[in-house]
Amino acid sequence: MSLLAYAEDRDPGESSDTEAEPDALVDFTAMLRQRQREYGGWFGCGSKMQAEQSDQGYYLEQYVLGVLDFSSQYGIDYSISYTAANVIGRPTKFPAYGDYPETFPMVSRSGPCPTPFPFNSRPQRTYGDWWQRAPSATREIQAQNLPKLTTHDYIVVYFEEFVVPTEVAIFETFNPGSVVRIWAYGLTKHWTCLWEATESDLARPALDSRRFAPALKKTTMITKTLRIDFNHSRLNYYTEIDAIMLCGRTVSKTQSLLGKQQKRMQQQTQRQVLASPPAEASDPPATDGSGGPISYKLRTLKFQPNCHEDGATKLHDFINNDLSQFLMDNSVKGGGDLGPPHPLPPPPPPQVCLTDLPFEILLRILSYLDLKSLFRVGQVSRTFYDISTHPLLYAELSLKPYWHVASSELLCTLARRATMLRKLDLSWCGGLGNVSPTEFKKFLTQRGDNLTHLRLNSCKFLNASCIENVGIVCDNLIELSLRNCATDPPLLNFSCLANLKNLERLDLFQTAFETELLLSMLEGNRKLKHLNLAFCGVSVNMDNVAAHLATYNTQLISLDLWKAHFLSARGLQSLARLHQLEELDLGWCLREASLGDGLFQLLTNCPKLKKLFLSAVRGTTERDLMHIAALGKNLEQLDLMGILNITHERAYDILVHCPKLQLLDLSFCDNIMDRDFDLLAEWSRQFNVDIKSSRRY
Amino acid sequence: MNTLDVDFRMDIRGTGFRRTIQQYLINCCAQLVEIAMILTHESGKFMCRLWGGTSQELPPNGHDKDDDGDKGHYHCHRTTNEKKLIRNSGGEGDFQRLPRLVSVACGFAKDQAYTMGVADGVGGWRSFGVDPGEFSMFLMRSCERLSLGKDMVPQRPDLLLARAYCELLGQKCPVVGSCTACILILNRANSTLYTANLGDSGFLVVRSGAVACRSLEQQHHFNTPYQLSASPPRHHVTAVSDGPESADTMQFTVEPGDVILLATDGVYDNVPESILIEVLSEMSGVSDAVRLQMAANAVALMARILSFNPAHDSPFSQNARKLNIAASGGKPDDITVLLATVV
Repeated sequence: MSLLAYAEDRDPGESSDTEAEPDALVDFTAMLRQRQREYGGWFGCGSKMQAEQSDQGYYLEQYVLGVLDFSSQYGIDYSISYTAANVIGRPTKFPAYGDYPETFPMVSRSGPCPTPFPFNSRPQRTYGDWWQRAPSATREIQAQNLPKLTTHDYIVVYFEEFVVPTEVAIFETFNPGSVVRIWAYGLTKHWTCLWEATESDLARPALDSRRFAPALKKTTMITKTLRIDFNHSRLNYYTEIDAIMLCGRTVSKTQSLLGKQQKRMQQQTQRQVLASPPAEASDPPATDGSGGPISYKLRTLKFQPNCHEDGATKLHDFINNDLSQFLMDNSVKGGGDLGPPHPLPPPPPPQVCLTDLPFEILLRILSYLDLKSLFRVGQVSRTFYDISTHPLLYAELSLKPYWHVASSELLCTLARRATMLRKLDLSWCGGLGNVSPTEFKKFLTQRGDNLTHLRLNSCKFLNASCIENVGIVCDNLIELSLRNCATDPPLLNFSCLANLKNLERLDLFQTAFETELLLSMLEGNRKLKHLNLAFCGVSVNMDNVAAHLATYNTQLISLDLWKAHFLSARGLQSLARLHQLEELDLGWCLREASLGDGLFQLLTNCPKLKKLFLSAVRGTTERDLMHIAALGKNLEQLDLMGILNITHERAYDILVHCPKLQLLDLSFCDNIMDRDFDLLAEWSRQFNVDIKSSRRY
Repeated sequence: MNTLDVDFRMDIRGTGFRRTIQQYLINCCAQLVEIAMILTHESGKFMCRLWGGTSQELPPNGHDKDDDGDKGHYHCHRTTNEKKLIRNSGGEGDFQRLPRLVSVACGFAKDQAYTMGVADGVGGWRSFGVDPGEFSMFLMRSCERLSLGKDMVPQRPDLLLARAYCELLGQKCPVVGSCTACILILNRANSTLYTANLGDSGFLVVRSGAVACRSLEQQHHFNTPYQLSASPPRHHVTAVSDGPESADTMQFTVEPGDVILLATDGVYDNVPESILIEVLSEMSGVSDAVRLQMAANAVALMARILSFNPAHDSPFSQNARKLNIAASGGKPDDITVLLATVV
């Protein structure tokens, strides 16, 4: 049974809805068809069989049709190993447990981590907290915004049919237990959280493959797009996802009509919601207080951008006409002449009012609030509104935790408040077109000139002219992070970033660029301390980059060249001239070449080296390992994954001679296999080092 | 000689010591192309003789006694490399006597492109404790997966090869070895066959009794073909390694009636071309898969028998003579035959 025939069968009423993502349906269909063939056309058949009596809709289990977005993947884009596209279709490996190339592992390596915060006492990336302990670790901007269990990685997938979701199953084939949230994107064009993990859910599960299907929130929403959030903090090693299944009842014609009505209604409410703080969309309206219409009115007064001018008049109207009613509704005594009552949950003793505190103290108090609460506080009273909109509270802005509600309107609102903006994090925002590049540029032009930190990771709205704007406006930038930005067409026309002269950190993880442009940037930013060029694509001549770094950027502390091809032994020798290096990631580089004495020089010249990743640097020889043991006095993390012919003696040598070692990755080293597991565990205890080894099951 | 239809995964597991494993990507289409194929797999010994110096132990008789010959041969190697050999056989330790002849058929289709390929592992790796089949098998399997992908370019078999090679290098678990490869892609849109060939496997297109197109053999020197390789450290200097970019590419417009033979050097080195042409010509326009299969079997069997005939004046020995190298008779080698007709 062909998928095409199935598609034609879809009722016309629904097809208009599917146009929401027109291109989404195209790209992976070929792949799907292939899988379908592989599995004898099983896919979707079950649903089709019951399709005749579709008055009520029918129960449907479906697998991923395509991937819309993801934050990181282990493989390179054009590969078929370890990439996000591997979650498409039915599980290929599922009951098996192990590290398979046919699955999807994530590597948001060395990304910004939250500051130490109650729940995030062990912040981390990728697995464990190793990346946070590395010299290149960064702090999260406006960390109070983060939820208890922060999201490190995500993937957005779509399915073929709209359903009312009853179950979402995630097939985890390696190191399970990292899923923290499941979101669904409804017809109403907003995201709803269907499930959220609690601390106990993350208690380290058994090391076995599992089909993870948590109990979802009861919902009537109709969806075919899911986003899964991951948190790797509890993991021992990379997690791998084989497939994602969405189960639910399809919508029949009548239901879809109802759905459309509902959609229209919700759109109306949403329009109001959008104008209001980001909080509302995800929160039940009950928390807005009992006086629904009134508080709504208050909200319109305070937050609708266009009613700002006549806000005073409206407020006046309100006080004159509705206040008594409002007070009666809330049975709260009127407090002061200003009007709006004091709705903070426990009514303070009449003598002392919060507003009696000095302005600076209040400001200080409010500075601990996350953005959502800050907007809410602003609804309390005029005083609080004034305080809560104080520019100092908006010197650091992070909309990353609010990716699901970030919109052009919100940017517009924030632009008026954040007149002293220093640090901005818009990562993950604008995924499905709700942030327009124009609005972003406007925002940047208004507020970008003092920016020192700018993070635009996985921003789907970015285009070349946005970057150009960054280059023109934000000439004080110290940190620029453009991880995982669109690579097709190449986004980074670096000449537009030529203005930037003060960069200390440049993060281009998984973002394509051209060698010449990067070189000119390196030349311009002599103070560069941290550089991340992981996954930079095949067009970059890394030897030239390395030579440039050695010439101009001698203060470099960390350098990530993970999967940066075309670095040869010559490039390695150049890198050896960076005496300040504390962290060097050469994973998957130096593929064909033997290392020569490059590693020896590097270890001799860079005594501060704390972290050295040599994953799959196949040219590493026994002699190199001896050098590491002899010279790596300060090494804390060492990755030797997939290096051939490592003997036990050399591994032991390294453990003995590197006293500070904390992490040693020996997975896929052919001489150190499963049967050595006990020995490795013994070493691990003896030297207090976390030793990773691959165990095939 | 018996043939078995087995899943190729069994194929890998069971024959840990095979020096060549082949896989092919092929497909059948009712309208334009009817392709049938056979893979006959032989555990040849010639390369081992060159590398392992065990020529004295080669069995003098033909294919029927093949297994005994293999066994003796492997025993010889196990004495020197026992530990590694055990590892490579997945911990089973003992060399398994399995059918040396396997016929596999698998087919798939992708919109306008039809792909077949053959890869011939270099047996010399066995003396380093490396299963030479692993490399070629992985390469072809990647080709298959990639050719089904969304971004397959039917005009660029060399790109397919390069990506598969890249894929191989990108494995966490290192795949070591080297192999020759030849990939054909038929683009139905313009009836053009796009080819990429690296090393001494090759294809032959026969049209109305004559060779219409053929691949060129790429050799560094006699009996050392170009090869893709991934070698363990310390062998970099000595091992022959050619990037996928050194593959020869060709394009050729096919017509109905053309017969395409894709085979390893085990065929071309043993069967005189005239005979090949004769067999292939008979198949012109045949769309019956069974008949094609029989022809493919015949070619493989012929190559097999000739390879063990010490009196046969094979193309290989003729070439050797031209270079003043003494090598008479057939050349026992791995034999893979893929046969396709354009209808």
